[in-house]
Amino acid sequence: MPTILVLDDSATMVMSLSHILKGAGYEVETGMNGREGITKLSEGIKPSVILTDLNMPELDGIGFIKEARKIASARYTPIIVLTTESGGRKRDEARAAGASGWLTKPAEPNQLLSVVKQLCPVK
Amino acid sequence: MSATVEANEKLVCAILAEQVAHLRDRMDASAAFDLLWRTTALLSWLSGLLTDINRQAVQPSPVLERERAEAITEIGEIRRQLDHLAFVEAQRQDFARQIADCVIVALERMSEAKMPEGAHFSSSDLAKLYVSDDQRQLHEEVLKRLQG
Repeated sequence: MPTILVLDDSATMVMSLSHILKGAGYEVETGMNGREGITKLSEGIKPSVILTDLNMPELDGIGFIKEARKIASARYTPIIVLTTESGGRKRDEARAAGASGWLTKPAEPNQLLSVVKQLCPVK
Repeated sequence: MSATVEANEKLVCAILAEQVAHLRDRMDASAAFDLLWRTTALLSWLSGLLTDINRQAVQPSPVLERERAEAITEIGEIRRQLDHLAFVEAQRQDFARQIADCVIVALERMSEAKMPEGAHFSSSDLAKLYVSDDQRQLHEEVLKRLQG
C-alpha cells in the first residue's frame, strides 16, 4: 500500500487529510511541521507522495522542501504544497525549492485525491 | 504621544491579544470532527455487515437483496458527503485560526515595550504576517477606503 506523508500544523487538517487518504487506500504518515517531516524521512520512511502546508512553525514548507531534496531517498518524491497561499511569488518560491505541485485551500477532497492518484495510483 | 497614553495603548493591545487567543482556542471543533469520522467509520462497518449478513442467508430474498443494495448505495453517498463536509470545515477552521494568529501576533508586537521610542507597528509590518491572498486583498481594500 503506498504511503503518503502529510505535514500540517493544524491537527484537524492532519486528521481530515489522513481520513480521506486512508479511505482511498493509502497508508498515511503525519507530522505537525517541516522538522517532523525531515525526521520521518531521515528515519527511513519512503513516502510515494508528500503533502505539505507552507506556514508551519519550526521549519516551514519551503524549508522542508529544500531539506527534503537533500535526502537521497526523497530527492525525486513528488511534493504537493497544500496551502491558503495562492500568490505567484510563494508558488515560484516553492517551485524553486523543489515542489512538484500546488493545491490552494479550500480544496475539494476530489481535487486532492485526483492529484494524489495521478502521482501514485492505488493498485 | 505622551508616555502614559502610549503605555495605555500597549496595555490595551496586550489584553486584546489575549482575548483573540481565547477566541482562537474556542474555534477548536475537534470533538465535532471526531464524531464525523466515527460516524463514517460506523457507516463503513454497517455497510460491510449488511454484505456479510446477505452472504450468510440460506435463502436470500430478492426484496431484501434490493433493499440491501439500496442501503449500501445510500450509506456510500452519506459517507462521501460527511468526508467532504469534514474536509471543507477543517480547512475553514484552519484558515480562521491562521487569521486569528495573525491578529494575535500583530497585537503582541504593538504591545511590546521594547519598540524604540517613536517607532510604531505599521500597516506594512502587518502585511508581512499574512498567509493568504484573501488577507492581502482585504488589506488593500481597507487601505484604499481609509486613504481614498
